[in-house]
Formats: sequence, C-alpha cells, structure tokens
Amino acid sequence: MNALIRAELLKLRTTRMLPWLLLATLALVVVTVAANIASADPDDVALPLHDPALLGRVIGLSFGVPQVLVTVLGVLAFTQEVRYGTITSTFLVEPRRSRILVAKAVALVLSAVVIAAATLGVSVALSMALIGAKDGNVTTGGQFWQIVAAVFVAMVLYGLIGLALGALLRDQIVAVTATLVWLGPAEHLLIDALPEVGRWTPGGATFGLLQLGPALSENGTLLHAAVGGLLLLGYTITAAALALTVAPRRDVL
Amino acid sequence: MIELHGLSKSFGIVRAVDDVTAVVEAGQVTAFLGPNGAGKTTTLRMLLGLVAPTRGSATFGGRRYDEIPDPVRHVGAVLEASGFHPGRTALDHLRVLATAARLPRDAPMRALADTGLEDAARRRVGEFSLGMRQRLGLAAAMLGDPAVLVLDEPTNGLDPQGIRWLRGYVRQLADEGRTVLVSSHALSEVEQTADHVLLIVEGRLIRSSTLAALRAEAGVGCRVRTPEPERLSTVLAAAGHRVRTEDEDLAVDTAAEQVGELAATHRIVLHRLNPTAGLEEAFFHLTEQLARVDDTPLHGAPV
Repeated sequence: MNALIRAELLKLRTTRMLPWLLLATLALVVVTVAANIASADPDDVALPLHDPALLGRVIGLSFGVPQVLVTVLGVLAFTQEVRYGTITSTFLVEPRRSRILVAKAVALVLSAVVIAAATLGVSVALSMALIGAKDGNVTTGGQFWQIVAAVFVAMVLYGLIGLALGALLRDQIVAVTATLVWLGPAEHLLIDALPEVGRWTPGGATFGLLQLGPALSENGTLLHAAVGGLLLLGYTITAAALALTVAPRRDVL
Repeated sequence: MIELHGLSKSFGIVRAVDDVTAVVEAGQVTAFLGPNGAGKTTTLRMLLGLVAPTRGSATFGGRRYDEIPDPVRHVGAVLEASGFHPGRTALDHLRVLATAARLPRDAPMRALADTGLEDAARRRVGEFSLGMRQRLGLAAAMLGDPAVLVLDEPTNGLDPQGIRWLRGYVRQLADEGRTVLVSSHALSEVEQTADHVLLIVEGRLIRSSTLAALRAEAGVGCRVRTPEPERLSTVLAAAGHRVRTEDEDLAVDTAAEQVGELAATHRIVLHRLNPTAGLEEAFFHLTEQLARVDDTPLHGAPV
C-alpha cells in the first residue's frame, strides 16, 4: 500500500495541476480575506471589528474557495486518469482497484492538509495584518482554534468527497461541472432559501462545523459544530462507500 | 502461456466476444487478427482483468491477471486508449508506474533506453508524436521485464521506420522465450512477424493456426517477372486469371505453381516467380467462408 500511496503522491507532484490549484487558491484567499476585513466595522453584525471571534470568523470565511478547490482536486485525481487513459496502466499495476482508491484517498488527505496549512498561513497572517491596521481585535480567542481544527477536517473531507464523486461519475467535465454548480450557486441558494433544509446539506454542515453563516445562526438553524462535523463525515463515508462498491466493478473500456 | 477458455462478453444485447477458446504459446509471436470491431480489444481487456467476462476465463499460466502477485513483473501490456498525462514527462510517467509496482529505481531509464526514448526522457508527453507514444507504451509494458507481452494494435501511428523497428523488437522478445500476443487489423503488419495466428471475426474465433498453414489454406497469388510480359499476360488472361502490372512485374491472382506451369507450356522465360499470398487474402477467404456458413450476423446479435 505504501508504494501505491507514493505513486499517487508522485502523480500529484509531476504535473502542473497542483501548483496552479494552490496558487489560485492562495490568490482567491487573499481577495476573500481583504474583502471581508474591508467590510468589517464596529457595528457590523456579521463581522464586528472588536469582537474576539473576528479573526476566527474571517479565517473560516476564507476557506470557502479552498474547499471548492480541494474538492475539484479530489474529482480530478480520478477523472483525469479516465480522461487521459492512464487509469488502464494504474489498474494493470494494481488490479485490486479498491487499493488504488484507498491510496488516492490517503494521498489526497495529505495534499489537503498541506493545502490547508499553506492557506491557513496566508489567511491568518494577512487577516492579522489587515485587522490590526483597522485597530480591530486580533486575539486568537473565541472560536479561533476550533475553527483552525475544523478547517483541516473540512478540507480533508471535501477532498475525499471529491475523489468519491470523480470515481462515481468518471467523466471529468460532468464531475467538475456538477461539483462547481453544487458548491457554488446551488447549495448557497438552497441554504438561503430553505435554511431548515439547507443546514443538512454538506455546505450547511460545513457552516455548522466552522460556526459560520450569521444569517443561519440568527435564525437559530445553524447546526452545532460537532453535529455539522459528524454530518459531513457521514456524507464522506457514504460517498466513499458508494465509490468503493461501484468503481472497482466497472469495466475499463 | 496464455489460455482463453470459453471467453464471452456481452454489452447489453450486443455480444462482443463469443465463446473464444485459444492457447498462446511461449517463444512465439501470436497475431490476434480481425477487422475493427471484431472483439480483439475487448478480449485483451478481459485477459488483463480490465473488463469482466460474461462467461469463461482468461489465464496466464493458470492464474487470472488479478491473481498474479506483482503482475507488472510477469505481464506487460500496451493497450489502445491507454494513455499518458500530456503534462507529465516520459520519465515521470514510468517512475509513477515503477513506484507503484515496487520496481528498481533504474527500471524507467532502462526501459526508455530499450525503446529508443532515452533522449526524450525529460520531455512532456504532450510534445510526443504518436510513434513516440507507442514506444513509451512499450517502455511501460517492459518496465518489469515481463515474460508475457500483450500488445493491442501497436503499429497504429508508427511510420514505416517505426513499424520496422517494432517488428524487430517484437521478434527479439519472442526469440528470448517470451509469450507475445499482438493484435492487429492491419494484416500486412503482422505477416512478417507472427508465428501463429488467431483470427477473430464478429466476436468469434474462427481460426487458430500457424501462419504458414493459414496462408497455404486460403491464400493464392504471386508476382512474376518475365522479358515477355505482354505474352504472359495474354496467356494468363486466356486461362481466366486476372493480371495487373506492378513496376517491372506482373501481379497474378493465382498460385505461383499454376503460373509456372502455364509459362512452361507456352515456353515463356521467367526471371522471377514469388508467391505473394498474404494474410490479407487469407483473411478475406476465411471471413467469406464464415459468412457462407452462417448468414446470421453475429455482431449486434441478441444474446
């Protein structure tokens, strides 16, 4: 299994996809953090400038884009192999396909942790600098450490959900489009329109896990962080179980 | 040794491979011949565990592909539609496979050197010609120095020089005692390399025989060179044979023996007389026979 994991990590390192995705993620995180802190002021409900929870909240909000990108990375980890036909040689080296999926999952977990750490470094440093410049509260109190931990959990689980989606859908364009549509407009519209339903979606669970979404919170519909985390874990396990059941049995034509 | 036993595959109502039973011996080049859509690729993919058979089995020395420990060390394969990430270098492509298969670190460079791609090792595959990709596919197949080689349409995209190189390479592998199974729809491509022929048409294996036997059974035709081409053409045409001029020779659609006898009867001098019956002709004869025996279309027939 170690050899398969090393091979999967090598696959990620030997194309330009990962550095570009990481670069795009960091750029968008900078934009998100700057925009959020620009909107923060002492009377703001969502981002009160002097609230000890401000830093944690800004960090949590900045992980919307990284979550999408790590999901896409997961999707691409499988669908690119189908698109370019390398899945054939991958399965010829290891015909027990579930082992390939597990190796990809481990490689993706490691990648998600690295991306989350890099993103967190940029996000925290920039947030502290910008909040400090506005004389806001830059303490790491409140939910800061909980959010930092939750960010890693969410990134890992989103990456795994992406991998499972890719293994189930196989077609790269279909899988990436479906991911972007769901994580982009569809889920947010659902959460805004029907919060009681929306909080049970993966996105709603993530809002709960990261204790974000002030509108939901105000309505009292935000899931508790632990419940949100467990729900997201449940989605991940379900998607992984489906992928491990379906993908190894399919013909590779 | 490769054994196929009652191998069948249906896709919905379409029977792509129908009860194929065959043996592929070691130390030989076995050509797996058939027109496009005959079921060659599906058969090879079943052999390699990529497609699940509807019925039957395919084994290497008695074991299914997925039962072979470290299969890359025993079986190498180049399949149609198996590809490469265009952004990855040739060396990295092989390093990924070698890492997963726990092969020695020098295996990728050795395989690239064997297939003439040493100088292109650090070029991205997206910059490769089709011929270079075929070579890279072969390099991947040879990574584990396997005793069995399965090649699906390996000449596709190769220029004449590449085809000549491939013939020599494949021949050398068989002469080393390896089992080599090569599929092709281009019959002329395997004619100079194969020892044994498996002929598949519309999902059914219709012939398994030596190349010589197949040629003798169905093939007729020759090229003849004479200082009196017009006279010989007239004689042959009068005997009901079709004749056409090819360079300095005449191409005749009958056996060399008959041409020789007719030439002798009419006291026409011959400078050269070569049988040219090829697999192409044998293939058509055999498929025509099949069509006569069974009018039911097999491909796309309900299961």
